[in-house]
Amino acid sequence: GQEKDKYIAPSAERGWNDPPQFSYNLQNARGQQKGHLTRRAAPPTSSAPPTIPLSSNPLAPPPCSLAPPPRLQGKKQNCFMMKCCHGNNRSDGFLTAGPPTTTTPPVQPGSQEEEGGGDQTQCEPDVEVVLSSLNRALATCRQSVKDQVCNDVEKRLLLLDDSWRAGKLSLPVRRRMEALSLELRAGHWDSANEIHRSLMVDHVTEVSQWMVGVKRLIAETRNLNPELLEQLQDTSVTDQDSDLLQG
Amino acid sequence: MSTYQEFIQQNEDRDGVRFSWNLWPSSRLEATRLVVPVSCLFTPLKERPDLPPVQYEPVLCSRANCKAVLNPLCQVDFRAKIWACNFCFQRNPFPPSYAGISEANQPAELMPQFSTIEYIVQRGTPAPLIFLYVVDTCLEEEDLQALKESLQMSLSLLPPNALVGLITFGRMVQVHELSCEGIAKSYVFRGTKDLSAKQIQEMLGLSKPMASGQQAFCRYDHVPHVHPALENDPLFLQPVHRVDMNLTDLLGELQRDPWPVPQGKRPLRSTGVALSVAVGLLEGTFPNTGARVMLFIGGPPTQGPGMVVGDELKTPIRSWHDIQKDNARHLKKATKYYEALANRSAVNGHSIDIYACALDQTGLLEMKCLSNLTGGHIVMGDSFNTSLFKQTFQRVFSKDYNGDFRMAFGGVLEVKTSRELKVCGAIGPCVSLNAKGSSVSENEMGVGGTSQWKVCSLNPSTTLGLYFEVVNQHNAPVPQGGRGAVQFVTQYQHSNTQRRIRVTTIARNWADAQSQIQHIESSFDQEAAAVLMARLGVFRAESEEGPDVLRWLDRQLIRLCQKFGQFNKDDPTSFKLSESLSLYPQFMFHMRRSPFLQVFNNSPDESSYYRHHFVRQDLTQSLIMIQPILYSYSFYGPPEPVLLDSSSILPDRILLMDTFFQLVIFHGETIAQWRKAGYQEMAEYENFKQLLQAPLDDAQEILQTRFPMPRYVDTEHGGSQARFLLSKVNPSQTHNNLYAWGQETGAPILTDDVSLQVFMDHLKKLAVSSSA
Repeated sequence: GQEKDKYIAPSAERGWNDPPQFSYNLQNARGQQKGHLTRRAAPPTSSAPPTIPLSSNPLAPPPCSLAPPPRLQGKKQNCFMMKCCHGNNRSDGFLTAGPPTTTTPPVQPGSQEEEGGGDQTQCEPDVEVVLSSLNRALATCRQSVKDQVCNDVEKRLLLLDDSWRAGKLSLPVRRRMEALSLELRAGHWDSANEIHRSLMVDHVTEVSQWMVGVKRLIAETRNLNPELLEQLQDTSVTDQDSDLLQG
Repeated sequence: MSTYQEFIQQNEDRDGVRFSWNLWPSSRLEATRLVVPVSCLFTPLKERPDLPPVQYEPVLCSRANCKAVLNPLCQVDFRAKIWACNFCFQRNPFPPSYAGISEANQPAELMPQFSTIEYIVQRGTPAPLIFLYVVDTCLEEEDLQALKESLQMSLSLLPPNALVGLITFGRMVQVHELSCEGIAKSYVFRGTKDLSAKQIQEMLGLSKPMASGQQAFCRYDHVPHVHPALENDPLFLQPVHRVDMNLTDLLGELQRDPWPVPQGKRPLRSTGVALSVAVGLLEGTFPNTGARVMLFIGGPPTQGPGMVVGDELKTPIRSWHDIQKDNARHLKKATKYYEALANRSAVNGHSIDIYACALDQTGLLEMKCLSNLTGGHIVMGDSFNTSLFKQTFQRVFSKDYNGDFRMAFGGVLEVKTSRELKVCGAIGPCVSLNAKGSSVSENEMGVGGTSQWKVCSLNPSTTLGLYFEVVNQHNAPVPQGGRGAVQFVTQYQHSNTQRRIRVTTIARNWADAQSQIQHIESSFDQEAAAVLMARLGVFRAESEEGPDVLRWLDRQLIRLCQKFGQFNKDDPTSFKLSESLSLYPQFMFHMRRSPFLQVFNNSPDESSYYRHHFVRQDLTQSLIMIQPILYSYSFYGPPEPVLLDSSSILPDRILLMDTFFQLVIFHGETIAQWRKAGYQEMAEYENFKQLLQAPLDDAQEILQTRFPMPRYVDTEHGGSQARFLLSKVNPSQTHNNLYAWGQETGAPILTDDVSLQVFMDHLKKLAVSSSA
């Protein structure tokens, strides 16, 4: 159930000419893509005014009654590729503004899955499950980590508990917290930490007050000595809902 | 190698170097006649995923005043185990560890593909990364909240062992102790009093050793190696992993500056003292260690040293007009104050970022040196509660393919040259280290008189312009087939705390400018040359009047055209430039119009901001700034680059313009009407929907990698924001000549600015004139 969120909803009032906000994962996915929007048109060779590409719309500039855009021609729709950057298919399949042909409208697959709302089949994350694995990790930490740190972490886990039960956490946050707790239980520290980072970047307003406790818990747990760690893993595996680890 | 273009690209990919000329004129006289100096853009830490660093020290030439690094251009006698330095011709024995080398068994640094090589040096104690946040609290509630959250977020992006500190300021300056216990102390400074470094360090207790009692226990129980500087100091700079919980709370509890701000007044903002305390704190605790001061401001400094404007709202902050009329009261004093701080910071290898978010000016003009001299970032936005700021700030902490921060500290770049060349100077985010020597020219261009520069903070795109002089005399030409060489040695602290040295050694052939001028001409890299000349122009613009700079640039262009144009005397129509120079005049035309040289319509802060970015970006980005890129989307074919010209603005096109600082999507008149009519919602016009989407997707690709985030403008024909596009395109059609061409396509621009055509006509006339 990885969210397919591309954008994070920007703050209610976006700044003037504010760019869209990218999610943490999308930010980090960059690098694979390589943009080539750096070409320039060759300059005209003479000082005559540049030749102007003829608009194929003979009605341009548009008269009072607006001519419609060229219609889709059914057969070509699939190889239609507009983007510059991924343009292997760009040489063929372009539509010309010919006379409108009747065509059956293509059935569009749902293209934009809303964050959290896309995957309806997944069940609602359980606050009990999430907090029990966090608390179990904390309990193990208490055997070797300073009280004061553990108390601080506990305070923040309580805050998390409260916010969750008070309905203050959005579905994406609850989902990712569930994933984080599973990774923590499985001892996948790096990926637990990565989820923590993605939550801080994408949902800082919701999570900033308590997330730092979760972050510390991940750090302290991974530093536990091997016996304690084993102890923690044992309790995890024998746990009732260990099947979640596979899910 | 078939073409120069391929050669140039390959060299940039491998060595991060772009030279204006790829064949060098063999004498001083001939070099001056080429107009554009032998110069290069150099990206010291260009990302090279295919270049694993080697785990040993570089081998140096034994001549005391040379010390060039062994490289593929050196002559090697494998039997005698001796190498000859290609810079000073000293013969050096190989160190004992190289006893096993042979023709068949060569160390990496001798292989041609390692003209750029990186060494990991095992010297000194590894230093942690240091981040000192200096936060203005005179902000609107919403802005402060957003900033607090961004700062909290950043704690998750920092490596756990990074040291972090917090200074807040308004009317007073507070230095916060960060403890992992519940009690938080802070030291308060008056915002009006200029304090010396020594006073600050005494007041913070940095000079007297602290009794290491409970504090020490709290700090060090899990830290295996404690940096010596941490032992004696109060808890101002602490590892993130120890204090993140308390610091998160501390940040969360930050309040707006409590001092009342009377009607008609600005809040009293002690930016000058806050920075002085920050610089003094780092100076006293971590001299010569990489560190980043991150200054967040929501308005101009209004009191104490470094004040830029008074607190009376009725007195506006200085404008270009005030400056030209010598009517900017605080300008000189404030600039001098910040320059002194910047220089102290640079000496210690600390860099200073400025994140200025406000609708009005914040004093970047006076403060720019803090970042320009120390390699820090300047980010300018309207509010901290914008995705522009939030995402730009996140990207400061972006990581490379190895998971390491794209950020390096304490860089020292040294340039070594073969005898026929000397280095005149550098333009970029650096300061001179005043290293004199035989390769230093007396003729200064940019920051000169040295062969070494300090770059306190750099990232993979940080690029310096380096200018050279051919010193060979005309009557003593370099032997045919000879090559000149330049070595760039960059020492720096990697973000993973290793000390590293990257060495790039390049060579170019000498050519006789009399008999081989066509070869020299075809070796011209017009893109690099445009950026290098533009940097010289921007460097001049910092100290000279705007019109003088334009005149200088024009003169250079005319001379270049006279030298390389083909024409019959006094016949402008006969004028032609070869392909390798064909784009150059156009670049200069757009450069003249750019905000880097024109201050009209820009505040002094904006000009400072634009210039700051222009003199540090790599070639591609710099060229986008000079001549923005314009792509056109239509039903008639794939998206294509089109002329940055008003004739490209057509009713049935969507345009995507990238100026580096702005991304503009412009919908032509017909497209805009179709969109308004909602055709994109109808299934039979799915193609129209796709057409609308295409530029958005391409824009996203640019947005994802650009630092800082650009402004994002979605506009259409007749929209007020269309001015972003209209002010950039060449006004080939204006209200003056609209009907002269007998065509009614394209968009006339209401301007009296000179068009490229007129500019070119004048240029040709001047170039072919026998009296010029």
